[in-house]
Amino acid sequence: MIINYIPILLVIAAAAGFAGLVVYSSTLFGPQSPNKEKLSTYESGMKPVGTTKERVSVKYYLVAMFFIIFDLEVVFVYPWAVQFKKLYNQYGISVFISMLIFLVVLELGYLYVYKKGGFKWD
Amino acid sequence: MENLKTLVDSLYLLKPEIAISCVLVLVIIMDLIMDKNKTFLPYVALTGFIITAFLVVEQYFFKTSITQNLQKLLVIDAVGAFFKLIVILASCLIVYFSLISKEVKEAFDRHGEYYALICGMVIGMFFMISSADLIMIYLSLELVSLSSYVLAGFTKNSLRNSEASLKYFVFGAMSSGIMLFGISIIFGLTGTTNLLAVKSVMAAGGNSLTFLFASILIFAGIGYKISAAPFHFWTPDVYEGAPITITAYLSIASKAAGFALLIRFITLGYVQQIDASGAWQLVAGSIDWKKFFTVISILTMTLGNFAALWQDNIKRMLAYSSIAHAGYLLLGVVVLTNQGLSAVILYFIVYAIMNLGAFLVVMLIANKIGSEEIDDYKGLGYATPFLGVCMAIFLISLTGLPPTAGFIGKLYLFTALIEAKMIPLAVIAIINSVVSLYYYIRVLKHMFLTRPQNEDLVINTSFAEYVIVLVLAVPVILFGIYFTPIVNLAKNSVALFLQ
Repeated sequence: MIINYIPILLVIAAAAGFAGLVVYSSTLFGPQSPNKEKLSTYESGMKPVGTTKERVSVKYYLVAMFFIIFDLEVVFVYPWAVQFKKLYNQYGISVFISMLIFLVVLELGYLYVYKKGGFKWD
Repeated sequence: MENLKTLVDSLYLLKPEIAISCVLVLVIIMDLIMDKNKTFLPYVALTGFIITAFLVVEQYFFKTSITQNLQKLLVIDAVGAFFKLIVILASCLIVYFSLISKEVKEAFDRHGEYYALICGMVIGMFFMISSADLIMIYLSLELVSLSSYVLAGFTKNSLRNSEASLKYFVFGAMSSGIMLFGISIIFGLTGTTNLLAVKSVMAAGGNSLTFLFASILIFAGIGYKISAAPFHFWTPDVYEGAPITITAYLSIASKAAGFALLIRFITLGYVQQIDASGAWQLVAGSIDWKKFFTVISILTMTLGNFAALWQDNIKRMLAYSSIAHAGYLLLGVVVLTNQGLSAVILYFIVYAIMNLGAFLVVMLIANKIGSEEIDDYKGLGYATPFLGVCMAIFLISLTGLPPTAGFIGKLYLFTALIEAKMIPLAVIAIINSVVSLYYYIRVLKHMFLTRPQNEDLVINTSFAEYVIVLVLAVPVILFGIYFTPIVNLAKNSVALFLQ
């Protein structure tokens, strides 16, 4: 029973070993010329100024949430679009209509958010 | 591709769900278009619910087997249709209640959300009632829960209200997490989430201890919905804090859906076959549900009844009383027979009417005197004899005394127990009913046997209120005397069950 899991253990050990080896070898063989810029915190090219514990306006989360909701719709549309021709030949216009219903319901949500002032920052 | 085809072909089985989804969309659109005048929104919802009710009645007579439709995700049968009917009728009544509720009226700018969320709850409960797959169970349970968290805190005008919503949310998140853990264990053991497939894998012999553990974890999620001890902690606070319409709704519809889910879960996942006498044969290696439910139901009703004795707030008292009733209803599940199931169905008809009635009277009185404390009910029987008498009918029925419908419901439950030779459990249940007499009658004592604090107080009842109270009070008496129709309904539903 438990003997069956030994390969998994080996994979974990190999992964950990490899990662450790790579990190250690770069400190061992790599050239070391540290300067101020290199040692500072990496912030995607921005200068790291101020505290990291700054408060973010709660509105930001709302916008982020809307973004996620309307962004994820594409997950359903892509496979539909790729398979559309094949499905259309098989089932006819209902394939198009069903996606239309989905999008209309989604747009309704968009309208709701817009009308209730979800996109207003102030 | 084949899957898609069968799915499209069986769409007609989902007519009620589709109808109610359309109502949801319609309510939102109406809410957006008509910004100023929202008084017609409840009527839109009400019409939609009534149409859905007809579709559900149609579903009651469908002849389908579980294996042929909807990828075995859902089961459409008479028992399911019956519970859907309870849910949709309760929804109709709740919309009517909302029309005359002061609390809801005060939050008129959010009416669109209110009715849309009720529609959302109905969709979730419909799927809950017919789900045959663990993923479906979880999804529908979450849909119901998320809508009801918002509804519980709907009026926003008091601290209690927000507290109710938050508590409900925290407990709900906790128990659905536990349930999900159980589902993941079952999936790990069997490699499937379909309850029928799970049953066949377990019947072939599996790790029964882990299976038992996972089953109890899943029960945590269901037990939370039906507020069975020890998952009942949210009930008193939420029932007290939420608007009365929503409290009444949670105590009927949510509970009905929970019980339907429980019955579905047991029969699909654990019952090998139903023998000629109607007893459910459990699959080998399954958890001994009989013992488990015996303990849970004794705990639930005893705790509910004894805690209700000390309550001063009538909503809180009714909350504990609804916990106690969940205990009684579990008695019908304990016996694991078709007779038990028909007793549960019968009790649900009765319970829905009398509990909605009691909450309605509480709401009407709170509309007028602005209080839900039992002490403030002093002498109200003189200020409003009509409501007082109706309250008496509902409370006596909740106790289970003849000649009310509550008596018939309890009679059939206890008969099912005695037929299954579970006499000690029946005795405990009867003792519990006696205990419950005290706290129900205490309200009546305050209403009729004490003089009013304010002699001039007169509570007027409008025509709409008269109608709805009578619609609920008359059947309570009627079904107490002439109970053949509801007994037949219960028996017929079960006759079409899982053949």
